[in-house]
Amino acid sequence: MIEEFYDRNPYGLSASEKSRMLTGELMELTRFHKDHCPEYARFLNMLGYDEAKVSSPADIPYFPVRLFKEFDLLSVRREEVFKTMTSSGTTGQRVSKIFVDKATAMRQQKVMLKILGDFWGKGRLPMLVVDTPAVLKDRKSFTARGAAILGLQFAAREMVFVLNDDMTLNVEKLRAFTEKYQGKRFVIFGFTFLVWQHFYRELLCLQERFDLSEAFLMTGGGWKKLESEAVSQAEFKERLGEVCGLRHFLDHYGMVEQTGAIYAECAWGHLHASIYSDVIIRDYRDLTPLPIGERGMVQVVSVLPRSYPGHALLTEDEGVILGEDDCPCGRKGKYIQILGRMKSAELRGCSDTYGAEFH
Amino acid sequence: MELSSTDLEFLVGSLEQLRRMSATPVLPAFSERAVSFLAQLSRLLLRDRRSGVDVKSYAYWIRKASLEAAAREGDYRNRLGRGVALHIAPSNVPVNFAVSMTSSLLAGNCTVVRVSSKRFLQVDVICEAINGLLAGEWADLRPYLCVLRYEHNPAVTQALSTQCDLRVIWGGDRTIETIRQAVLPPRAVEMAFADRYSIAVIDADTYLAEDPEDVAKRFYTDTYYTDQNACSSPRLVVWLGDAVEKARRRFWEALEGLVRQDYPMKPIQAVDKLSAVCALGMSRPGVRYCPGSSLVVRVELEELTADVMDYKCGGGCFFEYAAKDLREILPILTKRCQTVAVLGVDRKRIRELVFSGGVRGVDRIVSLGGTMELSFIWDGFKMVESMSRYVYG
Repeated sequence: MIEEFYDRNPYGLSASEKSRMLTGELMELTRFHKDHCPEYARFLNMLGYDEAKVSSPADIPYFPVRLFKEFDLLSVRREEVFKTMTSSGTTGQRVSKIFVDKATAMRQQKVMLKILGDFWGKGRLPMLVVDTPAVLKDRKSFTARGAAILGLQFAAREMVFVLNDDMTLNVEKLRAFTEKYQGKRFVIFGFTFLVWQHFYRELLCLQERFDLSEAFLMTGGGWKKLESEAVSQAEFKERLGEVCGLRHFLDHYGMVEQTGAIYAECAWGHLHASIYSDVIIRDYRDLTPLPIGERGMVQVVSVLPRSYPGHALLTEDEGVILGEDDCPCGRKGKYIQILGRMKSAELRGCSDTYGAEFH
Repeated sequence: MELSSTDLEFLVGSLEQLRRMSATPVLPAFSERAVSFLAQLSRLLLRDRRSGVDVKSYAYWIRKASLEAAAREGDYRNRLGRGVALHIAPSNVPVNFAVSMTSSLLAGNCTVVRVSSKRFLQVDVICEAINGLLAGEWADLRPYLCVLRYEHNPAVTQALSTQCDLRVIWGGDRTIETIRQAVLPPRAVEMAFADRYSIAVIDADTYLAEDPEDVAKRFYTDTYYTDQNACSSPRLVVWLGDAVEKARRRFWEALEGLVRQDYPMKPIQAVDKLSAVCALGMSRPGVRYCPGSSLVVRVELEELTADVMDYKCGGGCFFEYAAKDLREILPILTKRCQTVAVLGVDRKRIRELVFSGGVRGVDRIVSLGGTMELSFIWDGFKMVESMSRYVYG
């Protein structure tokens, strides 16, 4: 049961113990989803899934996240769905739909708080969001950005959106916030590109200087967009340090399909798997797990998804496991690096997709 | 809208020629000028060191002997061009524009081909050769051919359609839907090449008597050579006979060996293929995943229903079915089924099944390995006949 996990430090389990606990919980989830989601049951049947053969989290059947675009996958009755999260992802126009009930939402919040607490200490902190409040307008259906913010809302003592609806920086709000929490710890959260484009660049143009040296800058959403502008992760940190004294950075990797069990970045720049989730890097040629240090496809497991069968998924990202249980920061578990989205394949041939040229 | 040179980029021909086409006299089918022009184009392309396999096989198809054999196969004496033929070529089969152009010129039409805005060396090589010929000995054919590009623009498509007597659309359902928004003149006809799928039928016992490497090569040409994404690439393999288990093991093993060696698979294709089979498996019972390399992804089906073919991927993703009786394939011979490739199964048996079942699909039955062969018969059309007009009397 998940309660066993709650009693532990989120990074306190060494490899063998974590594997044992995760495997048991994931097997139980597999059984639960098999009994409650007909599509998932057929998926297991297709694979000839045999529980007796499972000995580690890597043995739990997984499917590509894209399937959430093609099917409404849920293991609870529709009337129990408390919120639906959507994400556009990479391929096609269809969006993923993730159905979350109250119980799963609770788990997500609780685990997120435990993970973040390990980085910035216990308790809720004031949070400055580098986004516009408009991103949360539709309360029934959220985008990845909205979902990430919402996931953090309960972890914040107070949440202030620092961008106007037209994405310009609201300097008065920033001033009021920093004055109020002068010398105290607080959190700034935003997607990397928004932080660069609408926070850093605007700060750069201001006469006024802000001191954000006590703040934690939490980022998400990946680095691809910035890298295409030739801004590296290191430069990002350096330049933000220059403009407003920022020195605590907390990047993270996560996905709507496994909200809560995020992979947060330690002071050594490593993304850590908590006890609630794990990463398996697979060889694209035969899908077998790869050892530490080898680049491959990122597959993830999480013990949180109960209202939808999302506990074992194949992402479209490439990554590498840097090590396990031995990060200098002291956190146990695997630590990883994400290398970005896999490039889409342009196939030859005469049909459909190529009509896309005319659209 | 008046066509203007700002919208169109001419690879062959000019705006002036395009404007004059409506008034240009058509040619008889298989005219001496068109045949000699194509035969000379064949020689140039076969000689060109830049020509790859696809340009070479096109060049081989239009060599003199091949065109003369095609001319003998039908009654073309009473046929001549319909007028202006507008061809919309697909964007991912570079040589296809020339294949469509060939039948159109042989039919006697003033031919306008819109090629993809994606750049391909093949297109440049062929157009360069064509321009050389039209600048020299075949200058009299200049009024008959324009190859052009334009960014998608409904007004341009409409202007081109307004002056055409025949419109040929490649590129699948979505392209057809888009192009059809441009209306045709009352007398004009249209040939549209929609999305299709193809299958292979293999007799296990015959297969076991063949050289597995050789069969693998042929099947590779049918599938991986075009990323298994051509309409003619088999996506379903139906097994007949007794030793199915043994045959399929050998068949896929041999294919995988070849794929490992020759096919540059991208990592994302492993996800694409797994997604396709998982979607199929989630949608219905009776699907069994065959674990193994992601170079060759496959599932076995307990039952054949028409909609299984909706789950498509390409790049080496196969469905398999072991049939006791050939008639079990009837449900998938829908109007979207194009080619049946056979090994160890008499083509007549498939033809009989098509006729006795009155099925809507199957335009073509070929031997395994032959699905990519160029032909003057495609998707149920005799191309030169369909692009020309018969004068009775």
